[in-house]
Amino acid sequence: MKKQLLLLIIVTGLLSFISSCNKESGYKTLIITGQNNHDWKTSSPILKQILDETGLFSSEVMITPDKGGDMAAFNPDFSKYKLVVLDYNGDSWSDKTNAAFLDFVRNGGGLVIYHAADNSFPGWKEYNEMIGLGGWGDRNEKDGPYVYYKNDQLVVDTAAGPGGTHGKRREFIVRTRVADHPVMKGLPARWFHGTDELYSLLRGPAKNMDILATAFADSAAGGGTMRDEPMLMAITFEKGRVFHTAMGHADEGGGPAMQCAGFIVTLQRGAEWAVTGNVTQEVPFDFPSAAGVVLRPDFKEITLEEALTKLGDYDIAKSTKYLTCLQSHIRNAGGDVGKLLDLEKQMVTILTGKDATPAAKKLLLRELSWMGTEYSVNAIKGLVTDPEVKDEAEYALARLQSLK
Amino acid sequence: MTDKSSRREFVKQSAKVVAGAIILPNIIPASALGKGGSTPPSDRIVIGAIGTGSQGMSNMRDFLELKNAVQFVAVCDVDSLHLAKAKQIADEANKNTDCRTYGDYREFLEKEKLDAVSIALPDHWHGIIYTAAVNKKLHVYGEKPICRTINDGKTIVSAVKKNNIIWQTGSWQRSQSHFHHGAELAINGRIGKIKYIEVGLPDGGKGIGTPPVKDVPAELNWEMWLGPALRVPYRGVAHWDWRWILDYSGGQLTDWAGHHIDIANWGAGLEHTGPVEISGKGVYPLDGIYNAPVEYDFLCKYANGIEMRVANAARLPHGMGATWYGDLGWIHVDRGNRISASDSAILDEVIGENEIRLYKSDNHWQNFIDCVRSGKQAIAPIEVAYRAISVALLGEIAMTTGETIKWDPDKEEFIDNARASKLLSRPYRQPWQLPAV
Repeated sequence: MKKQLLLLIIVTGLLSFISSCNKESGYKTLIITGQNNHDWKTSSPILKQILDETGLFSSEVMITPDKGGDMAAFNPDFSKYKLVVLDYNGDSWSDKTNAAFLDFVRNGGGLVIYHAADNSFPGWKEYNEMIGLGGWGDRNEKDGPYVYYKNDQLVVDTAAGPGGTHGKRREFIVRTRVADHPVMKGLPARWFHGTDELYSLLRGPAKNMDILATAFADSAAGGGTMRDEPMLMAITFEKGRVFHTAMGHADEGGGPAMQCAGFIVTLQRGAEWAVTGNVTQEVPFDFPSAAGVVLRPDFKEITLEEALTKLGDYDIAKSTKYLTCLQSHIRNAGGDVGKLLDLEKQMVTILTGKDATPAAKKLLLRELSWMGTEYSVNAIKGLVTDPEVKDEAEYALARLQSLK
Repeated sequence: MTDKSSRREFVKQSAKVVAGAIILPNIIPASALGKGGSTPPSDRIVIGAIGTGSQGMSNMRDFLELKNAVQFVAVCDVDSLHLAKAKQIADEANKNTDCRTYGDYREFLEKEKLDAVSIALPDHWHGIIYTAAVNKKLHVYGEKPICRTINDGKTIVSAVKKNNIIWQTGSWQRSQSHFHHGAELAINGRIGKIKYIEVGLPDGGKGIGTPPVKDVPAELNWEMWLGPALRVPYRGVAHWDWRWILDYSGGQLTDWAGHHIDIANWGAGLEHTGPVEISGKGVYPLDGIYNAPVEYDFLCKYANGIEMRVANAARLPHGMGATWYGDLGWIHVDRGNRISASDSAILDEVIGENEIRLYKSDNHWQNFIDCVRSGKQAIAPIEVAYRAISVALLGEIAMTTGETIKWDPDKEEFIDNARASKLLSRPYRQPWQLPAV
């Protein structure tokens, strides 16, 4: 059943179809939390939402006993899951649970390490191998080298010193380091991440690890190592794959670090890679770039339907993100005449509707000028007499009729 | 004895009397003094400037640094503050107060009798003003990229050909010896047959969102600044930062095409042709008035089998610059005298007299002046500038449409693609139109 579904995703790319299916249909995912020096009560349901949003995962959150509690009671059946996500930084688990967890990853289970989970279990050798790099918890040179980039060169630095620090929270640019890794493929080379702790001086065994992305810890921005510090890592541990994101510090409502579309999308992609070794998800139109931070306050990508509705209300003081969404759908049609005509019809409906603002009509006329067809011409002719959009209507008509 | 020498005397006299605050007559253009209507190899070229913002002023200074090369007698800009600064440096150089100022290029071109004009404008104005200046038979030093659309570019190229003037594009990297050396090594097969080229250009920076509409400052003629572009409210963005807005520019991609794509074409023998197939993707800002792609990555295939990848530098192994890959090695060139090769011995190779010798210039502005005097073609003529920006404009269209587009570089048309074809030109806002050639 799962194989068939996966095939469907690959063949049709209709992720939305999957998300409307039975929630049980995705990769069964266990999010473990319950102890953390961070606000796990905020972050864990958000992680669940982010993963389930893709339609690829069906997640449940499992809460461990409180700090100092009886860990013998924490005994998940890992064999039921394809993916484990750790939002946990706390007491050691029981030996039995540790062994079951190790078996799970060794035998090909997917693992996602989220933010402060790389602080956890400092004395657990295999755990440190799974996460590649970690920090705090008295980690130092005994645990492995510092690993980072300096002047675009990978540095493995065995210098003595503590592992783990971060300066003042800040927005920062994340830089892709392995552009052809499935998680990174199609992502920008550089993008702004929402205000977050910039984990630095991580150190660990760093075995079988690709550093997928780094961020420059600029000392001028409130403390920093002046190194390009690892932010996203991909590790293989025997048959298992581990995706490690050092980002995503949770504030109220998730805050800018978790709401960042870059955090969300790399987590979704990394989680899929951890399960399958591949990524089938398209890069969404709102993935951030060097142009600035992009937040998704509700953790969802804007749908075309929503964009078209909101676009009609556009005025010149508002964000143009709904136009950008529409443009991405036009590009993604890749010249498919049927898809383009479908979009054109929806655009003309807004253009000729009573409610569209003049500013919205102007945006639509600019797009229709090149991707429109005969279908648009009459509607646009009707706007030439409208003084508010006359220039844009003439512009669109001149282009649409230029090739006759 | 000749008109030429009398003018030289005249110029000397003028310089002497300026201290006595005598009002001078207009400078007579060198061309007016030549025999039989030809430009004499004489004296300082009488030149004007249209567009005197940062790049226009930089070019004025570069011309004025040359010894006895030019005399700026008139300047034109839609910003009166720019205009005043340009007049000031012209007057200082001329040691008088006679440099005339214009806010409208039409009046400038109508009234001024010049040999040449230096033009540095936002790209959306290039089609109209370059063509109008060339139609006046002025020699032009024109900033890259030479056009905002393919159609504008074709028009300018045909105007230059028809009017037989000297054109120099501001692609000044051609006049730096390491770019010349790299290109000459590449085109002479020192890395074998060229198979693949990478061109790395800068990426875009942080946006500014959607700033509020503002009053247009008194010094700026916003209506004239917009010119043929669709009317939009003023938001405090005009000079310099127009290059992040697609109405006026294609962003870093088109801004830099006239440098590293131009150099890449030079060394690969592609400067008189274009690709036959283009495909790629851009990364666009989510919102805000800066809407040019901040990253871009597209592949051009040429009829002779060469492929050229153009991308923001962070995506490429050699970063910024042009890299030619042949079947025997590679050569990379970039600004800051950077040149490297798969084997450094390649760089020590000497090009023989019987091999392909690329045009040599040591000073881009001097080369223009020399060519105006001699009638010889300049190092960055209009056709090759057009082919350099075409690569970027075709890439822009491929990214905008999301399609793999097929291009006929001889007819300069897309093959069977109505959407892409509509992007070859832009309708101009009334009453502006491209001048007839």
